[in-house]
Amino acid sequence: MTTLVILPAGIAWLLAAVIAPLDGRRPLWGWLAATGLGASLLAVVLLLVRVLREGPVEVVAGGWPEGVGITLRADVLGASFAAVSLAVVLVAFVHEVLLGVRSRTFPALVLFLAAGLSGLFLTGDIFNFYVFFEISMTASYILTGYREENSQVRAAFIFAVVNLVGSVMFLSGIAGLYHLTGSLDMEVVAGRIGQVELSSIIPIATVIFVAFSLKIGLFPFHFWLPAVYVGSHAPVAAILSGAVANIGSYGLLRFGADVLPDALSFGAPVVLVLGVVSIVYGAMQAVSRHDTSEVMAYSTIGQVGYILVALAVGGPVGYAAAVVYSIVNSLNKALVFLAAQLRGPLAGAAFAVGAFSIAGVPPAVGFVGKIALFKTSIEAGGLLETTALVVLIFAGSALSFVYAFQVYQRAFLAREYRNNKRPSPRATRVLAISLAAFVLAVGLWPEPLLVLGTESAALLLEGLR
Amino acid sequence: MSAPINNTTSILTQTVAKLLLLPTFVAAFAILVKGYAQPGDGFSAGVVASLGVLLQYLVLGRREAERLVTVRNAPTIAGAGLLLSLSVAVVPLFLGDPVLTHYPRPGEDVVYLGTLELITPVLFDLGIFFLVFGFAVGAIGAFARTISEQEEYAGPGTEQLEDDT
Repeated sequence: MTTLVILPAGIAWLLAAVIAPLDGRRPLWGWLAATGLGASLLAVVLLLVRVLREGPVEVVAGGWPEGVGITLRADVLGASFAAVSLAVVLVAFVHEVLLGVRSRTFPALVLFLAAGLSGLFLTGDIFNFYVFFEISMTASYILTGYREENSQVRAAFIFAVVNLVGSVMFLSGIAGLYHLTGSLDMEVVAGRIGQVELSSIIPIATVIFVAFSLKIGLFPFHFWLPAVYVGSHAPVAAILSGAVANIGSYGLLRFGADVLPDALSFGAPVVLVLGVVSIVYGAMQAVSRHDTSEVMAYSTIGQVGYILVALAVGGPVGYAAAVVYSIVNSLNKALVFLAAQLRGPLAGAAFAVGAFSIAGVPPAVGFVGKIALFKTSIEAGGLLETTALVVLIFAGSALSFVYAFQVYQRAFLAREYRNNKRPSPRATRVLAISLAAFVLAVGLWPEPLLVLGTESAALLLEGLR
Repeated sequence: MSAPINNTTSILTQTVAKLLLLPTFVAAFAILVKGYAQPGDGFSAGVVASLGVLLQYLVLGRREAERLVTVRNAPTIAGAGLLLSLSVAVVPLFLGDPVLTHYPRPGEDVVYLGTLELITPVLFDLGIFFLVFGFAVGAIGAFARTISEQEEYAGPGTEQLEDDT
């Protein structure tokens, strides 16, 4: 059953190639693509269950001996990220199909994106990671311009330019790793990197760190993010913030904690400070903005900060919190971006669940993420550090409560909203509400999510040996 | 104004460009084939072949270049290439082998065509070649169309000439 590792990317990829020449505006092809995405998601979930029970699954392409062929490896960390990302892509895509696809290439592009995402989360080879990463990024450049209004084309241009710079940096990081260790297999690199002088690893680790920080929009590298999220069409913004941004957090966890642990612990203070600044900056900016997507864009910058703080503290609790928070954050962002544009009965409720989940109000899933972070800050060591982190996370949550409430008020309680009541199609509202219900359900029964977190953390720490 | 097409590059350049197209494809194919023993593969072969088409665009202008069969069908070529490569990757799964397994397996008898071993990776590389070539030619065509939406592009140098007159 090692085929299961290939299925998620394989199904999406083949279907993308088949659908590409067809007219994606026809609902039939849209639904076919959605079915394919569903099948990919199912394969990932099955894989995740299997990996949880029996440990990582490995396949070497072409049946070559290990170390010669390209390794495809599924472990808890990768499979969790793949599952969440594919779920977000599926929901956002179905949302757009229900609204009516307006471009013939849209379904194929979403499938290419999904193939790239599942491929990069389920590989054990650094260069393979880069290839799939480029597939998904290229698809998302084009998707950002979807609907082709001026703001969207502008957003796509900014997104493409900034992220191409990031890709080049990442590629030079890979070249550096290969130069140092003579291998591109993640496990081999992680094994050999211990014998290399720290001073030669640090520049490479820095380049890789900056590349991924650019992708997720961490504070000093966030400049592109608001323009892109505000400009792009709502389902696309949901995909970008709920699925594509996962590449960054996964990359930081995989390359920081798994492949380059020494460099991460050396750079932990910097990572911590950047995370803290990101939290404060994102929350402050979000409070001061008016437009819903703009608030959520700045909120994303803040949320990324929490992941960085957890990564910097490290250890079983810190890594678990980073994984849990990344998953929680993608669900929240997908829900918020999808529900914000909807009008009519219960659309406001779906948005409210998302907004307050971001603020960390129970019983939404955001609360689970915040608890994990509080645990992390208690683990952080020294009394001063712990107090500072607890206060910071509390202040960050309070600010996010303020902007969540402000946005809800402006979007759904203001007079212009009440006067302009043309409800959105019922099916899209049902979809948003189901997603909201899922967010609540995971919040009420967080056990599986926490298991994913602790298992991933155990896996990352095992790599240290 | 509607400039007469192709009056800017000399007849010599045009003839050489036309003559070079076929040799470029041959060189590209050589790169593809020798990739099994020396540096070279479907990707670089596709790039080289599309350079040949780019030369046609530059020297003869968009209209002449688009009369080539390969140019008109560039998207189809790219799609067919992608499907071909993906099928070569996926088919072993149905035979119970890992993805991308090549046939005949190492150590088994292989049919030779000159020095080229006829194994399934050749098909995979051919698919990559078509994908890269189709994509590159399609992209060149898209750029050419964007330019000629502003003014009919008649080869390099025309802008200069119009300024002089």
